Amino acid sequence: MNRELEKLISLHDLDVMISDLVNKDISKQEKKLGLSPDVALSQLQKMREELVATIDRRHREMYDRLAKHYGNAVVPVVNRRCSGCFTKLPTAMMSSSSGKDVVTTCPTCGRFIYQCD
Amino acid sequence: MNRQCLVKWEVSADTREEAICELLDEFSFRETTRELLRIALETREVAQPTIVHEGIAMPHCRSILVDDFMIVLGRSEQGIPWPDDEVNLIILFISPVKATGPAEHLELIKHLVKVLRSGGAEKALAAKTPEEIAKILKFDYKKAASDE
Ligand SMILES: [Zn+2]
Repeated sequence: MNRELEKLISLHDLDVMISDLVNKDISKQEKKLGLSPDVALSQLQKMREELVATIDRRHREMYDRLAKHYGNAVVPVVNRRCSGCFTKLPTAMMSSSSGKDVVTTCPTCGRFIYQCD
Repeated sequence: MNRQCLVKWEVSADTREEAICELLDEFSFRETTRELLRIALETREVAQPTIVHEGIAMPHCRSILVDDFMIVLGRSEQGIPWPDDEVNLIILFISPVKATGPAEHLELIKHLVKVLRSGGAEKALAAKTPEEIAKILKFDYKKAASDE
């Protein structure tokens, strides 16, 4: 998988973790387990800044725009469909030669799309 | 709770990082998926170790890389440094990212709070078999493909 796309997936995972810790109900339960969601949250925010700094500016801006618009900027391809907008993707996009070295986006919704391995 | 869990009865790892890898290997993830999940789980641990009881760690995250709950329990008789405390039981789970994701993730954490805080933690640490530990934590025990 393209390294830049891997970073975008990690960024998405980090944003989900951050949103969970901001979620009052989830953080309340984490506290009951003896965890300190506030500490984890500030650490994750720092790690996010570090990760973002390594991502190409164009991709970073696209990510922010997509996340703001759709709530999720990166989605998997399931059964040859973008799982964000469910558009069937062209066969050429799915070939193993393409997609390995480039960051691929859905031609319909523009989200970053990935196929695992 | 009708969620399936795998159990790795004797985790051989000597470090937190190795233990997370060993438990992820119980699922048949593809290489890139496994690596990205490892990064997500370790990121959460680096932000704050997930010790939820003396001897018990709960590495967890939500990820777009899974479409259903992935739960695996790991036991270590000798203990694993996590990294400042030693743990003998690891409850690792990955929740999916979907519309109902946050609510289902919350439900699972609530379930674990309830079970662990009502004597389940001590009982789980003393369990003698994979079936018993899954039963104490109220999960459906599923044998890993490698155990069958
Ligand atoms: Zn799309």
